[in-house]
Amino acid sequence: MKPMGTENPGRPNFPARSAATPFAPASQTSMPFLSSGPVVGSEASAFRPTPPTAPQTSMAFLSSGPGVGSEASGFRPSPPARSYGPSVPPPPPSYVPPVGGSFQRFPTPQFPSTAQGPPTRGPPVGQSVLSPPMQPPVGQVQSPPVSLRPQQLSSVPMGSPPQSVNFPPSSVNVPQAPLDSSFSAPRQTLHPSFPPLESSYPAARTTLQPSFPGYPSRQSNAVLQAPSVQSPFPAHQGGYAPAPPAPSSPFLAHQGGYVPPPPVAAPLGLHSREQMQYPGSGPPIGTIQGLAEDFNSLSLGSIPGSIDPGLDSKALPRPLDGDVEPNSFAEMYPMNCNSRYLRLTTFGIPSSQSLISRWQLPLGAVVCPLAEAPDGEEVPIVNFAPTGIIRCRRCRTYVNPYVTFTDGGRKWRCNICALLNDVSGDYFAHLDASGRRIDLDQRPELTKGSVEFVAPTEYMVRPPMPPLYFFLIDVSLSAVRSGMVEIVAQTIRSCLDELPGFPRTQIGFITFDSTIHFYNMKSSLTQPQMMVVSDLDDIFVPLPDDLLVNLSESRSVVETFLDSLPSMFQDNVNLESAFGPALKAAFMVMSQLGGKLLIFQNTLPSLGVGRLRLRGDDLRVYGTDKEHALRIPEDPFYKQMAADFTKYQIGVNIYAFSDKYTDIASLGTLAKYTGGQVYYYPSFQSAIHKERLRHELARDLTRETAWEAVMRIRCGKGVRFTSYHGNFMLRSTDLLALPAVDCDKAFAMQMSLEETLLTTQTVYFQVALLYTSSSGERRIRVHTAAAPVVTDLGEMYRHADTGAIVSLFCRLAIEKTLSHKLEDARNSVQSRIVKALREYRNLYAVQHRLGGRMIYPESLKFLPLYGLALCKSTPLRGGYADAQLDERCAAGYTMMALPVKGLLKLLYPSLIRIDEYLTKGSAQVDEFKNIFKRLPLAAESLDSRGLYIYDDGFRFVIWFGRMLSPDIAMNLLGVDFAGDLTRVSLCEQDSEMSRKLMGLLKKFRESDPSYYQLCHLVRQGEQPREGFFLLTNLVEDQIGGTNGYADWILQIHRQVQQTA
Amino acid sequence: MVKLTLIARVTDGLPLAEGLEDGRDLQDAEFYKQQVKALFKNLSRGQNEASRMSIETGPYVFHYIIEGRVCYLTMCDRSYPKKLAFQYLEDLKNEFERVNGAQIETAARPYAFIKFDTFIQKTKKLYQDTRTQRNIAKLNDELYEVHQIMTRNVQEVLGVGEKLDQVSQMSSRLTSESRVYADKARDLNRQALIRKWAPVAIVIGVVILLFWVKGKIW
Repeated sequence: MKPMGTENPGRPNFPARSAATPFAPASQTSMPFLSSGPVVGSEASAFRPTPPTAPQTSMAFLSSGPGVGSEASGFRPSPPARSYGPSVPPPPPSYVPPVGGSFQRFPTPQFPSTAQGPPTRGPPVGQSVLSPPMQPPVGQVQSPPVSLRPQQLSSVPMGSPPQSVNFPPSSVNVPQAPLDSSFSAPRQTLHPSFPPLESSYPAARTTLQPSFPGYPSRQSNAVLQAPSVQSPFPAHQGGYAPAPPAPSSPFLAHQGGYVPPPPVAAPLGLHSREQMQYPGSGPPIGTIQGLAEDFNSLSLGSIPGSIDPGLDSKALPRPLDGDVEPNSFAEMYPMNCNSRYLRLTTFGIPSSQSLISRWQLPLGAVVCPLAEAPDGEEVPIVNFAPTGIIRCRRCRTYVNPYVTFTDGGRKWRCNICALLNDVSGDYFAHLDASGRRIDLDQRPELTKGSVEFVAPTEYMVRPPMPPLYFFLIDVSLSAVRSGMVEIVAQTIRSCLDELPGFPRTQIGFITFDSTIHFYNMKSSLTQPQMMVVSDLDDIFVPLPDDLLVNLSESRSVVETFLDSLPSMFQDNVNLESAFGPALKAAFMVMSQLGGKLLIFQNTLPSLGVGRLRLRGDDLRVYGTDKEHALRIPEDPFYKQMAADFTKYQIGVNIYAFSDKYTDIASLGTLAKYTGGQVYYYPSFQSAIHKERLRHELARDLTRETAWEAVMRIRCGKGVRFTSYHGNFMLRSTDLLALPAVDCDKAFAMQMSLEETLLTTQTVYFQVALLYTSSSGERRIRVHTAAAPVVTDLGEMYRHADTGAIVSLFCRLAIEKTLSHKLEDARNSVQSRIVKALREYRNLYAVQHRLGGRMIYPESLKFLPLYGLALCKSTPLRGGYADAQLDERCAAGYTMMALPVKGLLKLLYPSLIRIDEYLTKGSAQVDEFKNIFKRLPLAAESLDSRGLYIYDDGFRFVIWFGRMLSPDIAMNLLGVDFAGDLTRVSLCEQDSEMSRKLMGLLKKFRESDPSYYQLCHLVRQGEQPREGFFLLTNLVEDQIGGTNGYADWILQIHRQVQQTA
Repeated sequence: MVKLTLIARVTDGLPLAEGLEDGRDLQDAEFYKQQVKALFKNLSRGQNEASRMSIETGPYVFHYIIEGRVCYLTMCDRSYPKKLAFQYLEDLKNEFERVNGAQIETAARPYAFIKFDTFIQKTKKLYQDTRTQRNIAKLNDELYEVHQIMTRNVQEVLGVGEKLDQVSQMSSRLTSESRVYADKARDLNRQALIRKWAPVAIVIGVVILLFWVKGKIW
């Protein structure tokens, strides 16, 4: 209220409004009246004659009115909304789109006032509007309108009724800009006295009146109030149900989903909420009486999944459509970067510390700066050559769509720190009448959330480095035997043409067993020269040059080398691995330039520095406090090396192949701190795994890579990023060093408030990645996003993004396993979910008979399931026997870097029945979607007559039901279909069906090229393979002492209620 | 021995290419690179410099040639024959103009021709050893004359701008110090006054006090 008061005077238009006067009396009358037609009439009449006022009230109504999904929708696109733009202080002229503008506008009044108790306030309105009898309980009490207002006000410093009465006139202006008729219309329809002029909507309204005699008056009072109390109103409105103004767009979006306009709702004119409440599986709605109550409980934006033991597990929410991104993001701020680059855990930034602590879930963001963009959406490149890059003088923010130009275009105001900067001469452009730069359409940096700037020399410490690939290959006995060396050599050779950065690309090789082998590949040689260094204590590089050569010049030598590599070590019987010294040698060769180091490791390092010993085979350690030590590197050598690598711009990718323990925990450290990743192929055999290795190595070598990169994320005043999670090295408090980074890496970060209260209405985030492209250009990729500040917890929950939350949860939990027991990590996930749901419940528990119901926000409906899946995921599951230590660690490293989509797929893989598709024959590609319906991940979904494919993004499992017709099996597998499936690999048979299956697999693979999904065949009842591949991964089932989905929900529900 | 090689556009000092792995065995490569950048900046200010010049710096010498608004610069040991260094630059120049000649003016981003570094690298190796037959032959080649090329010190070259700065600095220091001087003089003056009259004032004061005390007591 306070801020609003101060703000209002500042606004020129309201005193001018004659409307103010008609209002004051009206509101006063409202105080005593409480009831009657007269008031309405008078007020209405006051309105009528003065056209400008009508819109105002209508606005008020809009914001206060409970109804208004449809209104809102009408409201959004309507031109008046746009006209706010200029009048709003913060939203810059660049706020072209109406939505942004209107949104900005509203929060202003709302938020400050809401500071306290939105929930308590929320209900009364709904009720008062709805059903008179309901009011008293809420404490809205005796004289609804009057009390309503004071109460709200009292909560705020402004407090006392008289003031509030005085206030209205001033606040009348709130809906500043003249609204067009479309706005006033709804309002008018409120009064029976005025014939509804408008479309179907008002009609619905009017029908309402008869049914509730008290309604009109109430309505009127609501209207009256609205102007006066304006600010609290919309705010609380926002609180429990998508208030029209603020979240209008997101809400609408939601609506789209389950829009069944229930006949019941219509008379009430409360579509919006109604729709909100009933997701696919609508709970029973009672009679009118019952409905009123239901409505209340539902109006919380929650879904009552009736959770009694006999609960229908089919009704539980499942993300069968994959990851649903919150599109409110894009619609509300159309100039935000795409959500593939940046996702916030909630698209409503809390305004105060207390809100954060009540929010319970992690508050932060997941950033994937180089995410692959579909064709046509590439990030535009901007070259500021003569001027230098435009950045804020103080906070170094890059120029972005949210900066505002003032002073005729001579100054610009930074959106993050609000500093007024000068516009340099070269960048100057005049502003048009609405305050936008006239050259806006030629300036992608002012219209797009994602741009790339060409970096001038100031952003370089050295000339752009060439892409450099260095290979460190284990050639000990087991590596050669497994066929790994051969496949690697073949794959590298086949990729030589596609390595990025021709003709500058540099390449080099070292192989090692108990000695280290260097290769001189000078271009003038016809054959590479091998040099063996066996002194492991004092490593030296035998040749200053030519160990690292230009690929285009030494091409033939490199090819000769790769051709002969497998045969060179064919008869090697060396079992040892001098990994540490070889690593050092590689470092010495690479340190001049930096680049990417690919390590192929097959045995436990056994010689020289960095030798590791067998760990993790002691069962007794599990469950004790020492357990976590198994998951962190034992030898500080690896961390030290990782630090050195980062310093010299070397990124490390680890490929581990062993069937025995190789201490991925230690090796993975190298990848973790250098922005790399860990590929793990347990018990690699070239016959089985070659396709996967080939594909993943090829992708690693050929995907677009950003070299010598650093990343920083900036955010508005008052907010600060406190912790970062992922694979990188922190160079200073907020600078992530990423020697080599690509599109498959995402980073998560958590934020906190620096000040106790945020006073701005919008917080901006800017991710900047400075890197060298493979073509040798230094660039800065900048993603900018804006998010509204909210003062209400319900709002935060409604705008929550499950994907981002799960991603952060996952990283936090995995990090926790490094210092705690697995069980602690799992419990922490569970307890945070419980706390969040409890908080949410408390928010609305007061006046609802929730009984056995569990309530949760629509946006978080999948959170419990993902939480369960997370607890069952490889890094966190079970204990000693449930996953091998190496596998655990490798999965942990992978999940730390996985973008949101991949992670969600991994946590809740898709299970699809395909036998019908295969047999039916005529299915076209466009029917694809219809035929393949994802099934719940439970054993019940598996029909023994069916053929299923399970896809978690990392592998396929094809499950053959026991009763599956042998025809299918024979068609797919050939004649030996009855044999041992471990031996059979899927290859194309000469049959239509087989071709279709292969086509299908190909299609699935193409949808996610970052990993290759190797196909495993499993027959029903074939143990232990079935259990290993599929059954343990059916997350909704109860396996080995873990919870099933329904139990899990019950358990969470019980815990939520315990202290609720 | 060639240590560093840089190619830049003279008009605005924009670096176009640089040798790969330059300064690998050099302790303070960064320091010298800074000097080179300062040098380019000087050149871009349009001071009329000779198109060929050697500039001494520490134990090294910069050699550069300017041709077609592009400056080719290399840093060598002092002992490295000047003749060879300039032939090296000529080689670079010929190749660079052949490959990138047309785009030099339009290059907008730094290191636009970084691909040239492979050629620099290759050529550098040819000139690495002064005793190879090829290089000895070049040294003996009388056609290429380098004697007239001026040699200056880096401080001199870079100092031109600095001198102006120094003058302005000095003058500003003069004004501030003269102000201080004036203040001090005033202060001294006051002190002298005090020293002169203080004893007298004290004596008078004491006498008056005595008189007053006397009057009170009696």
